[in-house]
Amino acid sequence: MKRNKTSPLSRAFLAVMGNEKRQAVTIPLFAVFLSLIAGAVLMLLLGKNPIDGYISLLQGCGMLPKEKYAGGKGMFTDLMGYLDIWTPMLFASLAVAVAYKAGLFNIGVSGQMLLGGFLASITVGYSPLPAVVAKPLTIVVCMIVGALAGALIGVLKYKFNINEVVSAIMLNYIFQYVISFFILTYFVNPVTRQSETVSAAARLTLQDVQLFGMKTVVPLGFVLALIAVFVMHFFINRTRQGFELKAVGASRSAAEYAGVSTKRTILMAMSLSGALAGLAGATYYLGYLGSIQPKVLTTTGFDAIAVCLLGNANPLGILASSFLITIITKGGTYMNSSIGVPQEVSSLITGLMLLFAACGVYIRARLKRVKDRLEQEEKEAKKEGGKA
Amino acid sequence: MTDIIVNGMAFSLPLFIIAVGGIYSERSGVTNLALEGFLGAGAFFGAVFVTLTSGLFAATSQLPMYLALIVAMLGGALYAVIHAVLCIKFKANQVISGVVVNILAMALTDFLTSQINSVALGQSSDKFVLTVSGRLTFEPLASIPVLGGFFTNVYPFEFVIIAVAVVAWYAMYKTRFGMRLRACGDNPYAVDAAGCNVARLQFTAVLISGALSGLGGMCFAYSVFGNYSTSIYTGYGYLAIAAMIFGNWKIPQTLGACLLFGFARSAGYVLVQKLGMPSTYSDLIMILPYALTLLLLVFFSKNNRAPRALGEIYDKGKR
Repeated sequence: MKRNKTSPLSRAFLAVMGNEKRQAVTIPLFAVFLSLIAGAVLMLLLGKNPIDGYISLLQGCGMLPKEKYAGGKGMFTDLMGYLDIWTPMLFASLAVAVAYKAGLFNIGVSGQMLLGGFLASITVGYSPLPAVVAKPLTIVVCMIVGALAGALIGVLKYKFNINEVVSAIMLNYIFQYVISFFILTYFVNPVTRQSETVSAAARLTLQDVQLFGMKTVVPLGFVLALIAVFVMHFFINRTRQGFELKAVGASRSAAEYAGVSTKRTILMAMSLSGALAGLAGATYYLGYLGSIQPKVLTTTGFDAIAVCLLGNANPLGILASSFLITIITKGGTYMNSSIGVPQEVSSLITGLMLLFAACGVYIRARLKRVKDRLEQEEKEAKKEGGKA
Repeated sequence: MTDIIVNGMAFSLPLFIIAVGGIYSERSGVTNLALEGFLGAGAFFGAVFVTLTSGLFAATSQLPMYLALIVAMLGGALYAVIHAVLCIKFKANQVISGVVVNILAMALTDFLTSQINSVALGQSSDKFVLTVSGRLTFEPLASIPVLGGFFTNVYPFEFVIIAVAVVAWYAMYKTRFGMRLRACGDNPYAVDAAGCNVARLQFTAVLISGALSGLGGMCFAYSVFGNYSTSIYTGYGYLAIAAMIFGNWKIPQTLGACLLFGFARSAGYVLVQKLGMPSTYSDLIMILPYALTLLLLVFFSKNNRAPRALGEIYDKGKR
């Protein structure tokens, strides 16, 4: 029997992608690579230079110098602004990841962010408390509210058998409309048509700070987000609860059989996820924005799904993938204003990145098949060599 | 009362046909959270068709609308190929695939809408304006008290939906294809053993799902919105999923759930108007369908039985 030899192309691809352990990193990178190429093709079709496009993405995030800056601003200003918007994304992606590890899909991150942000705004944000009390209190309120909102989804899941995706989406809408009603009725700023800005004492991002001779924002929450990444990494990989979480995610019945309480684990995962979403809400509504726009649910919670997926739901992977996706979303604004590539292109690149990342299982299976075939061929070659 | 019925029906029926799309996909064993993306993509294709051919028809002609509904069905099915390929060929996680397909639909149609507007029509706009479809009133029947509401100001597409839904019901419960499809969701291995191609069956089911969602989306574009823009992604796809689960993955029960949502919504609006409440209160009314869904799910989902092999990736080797 004669079989086709494995093509050199798939051999090379296998060599690049590496063994199974390395594939955890290389497959997402491959997805990123493909989507950046697709984005470049798109920009070419629009008659723009893709290299200029990608450079302007980095310039918009303060990673490369722009040609000129407005008075008193500089690259550092852009970089700090980038960190400011990266922070909630990091928290939100961690929130998705914790639930995902337990086999749950928290699509309600945006709603939990909004609820936490709103309740913290009206309790702490509009109070005359001094900064030393107000800032920690903001964080605590957001975490607790988020955790409760997450736990509610968990309870609905294990007690009433309601699919967490459906209940989370329903809750998203309920939060969005109820909060919009309260904002428009009681807390609206008549000029901006948003909620009143929270007090500077409660705000987690310091505004108009002079640093290195430049006017900039200082996102205090970013430090917290970095800590959260490493705490979550430790929690998932090094603690008993983290192990139980993963066990439930891998197989609910097997975990139950081994004596893990699935109910408790689901509740814990959703509360933790909600608390992280609350932190995302704190840094988004009481840090980055300072006010809440009624009737709008932020896309951060949904983009976070993309980030989590791309980062393999691993906290360190998420650190990298959120870094990347935030560059694309934030830099998109500057790419639009500087070289006129429509903003939609950047969301399209993100969407494609997700699509390719979702194909990860397939790529992995294909690679395994190529590898198996190669081993088979080697064996046969050895046999023949032995005979001769 | 008439208003409640008129608006309730106009909202329920598109929602229903989207939910039927969901039932087709899920009864075949493929989890479908992508309805939202399907309905938007379908409506996008329909709206593009209407915009690009607007010069070819007489202004009063109703023909473009019916053609747009067909194009929306084809477009929805075309877009559904992504979900089908990801779930069936690439064996991706079906929940993730659904979410990805939704996000991509939003980004893609947003981009294409503004591009088509600027390239083909030379204007910068992020939407396609459609005429709100005409309405029909059936005179002798419309004057029946209360029930007359069902014959007043009816959108013509409501009949299309009813016709399509009847066909969908017949195909699902009375044909060999439907029986195999339902069996596929419970035990694909048995279907395979009976000599039927599981992958092809599921693929067809997802495409049907896309077509029906596209139809529903186009109807929403013609009634609730009056134009096509990204505002079509307001979560009706997810609402349809809730209706499907509430209807226990069965077509007749799902119709009941959709009618309930539609009437709760329109009754709420009438209530706000009647009581003379400020317009901000309509935000509170907006939550009615969602809150009702949650509440009803709390009571009923204990007895719900999802298709047994739902979301399972069919692996021939396991047989």
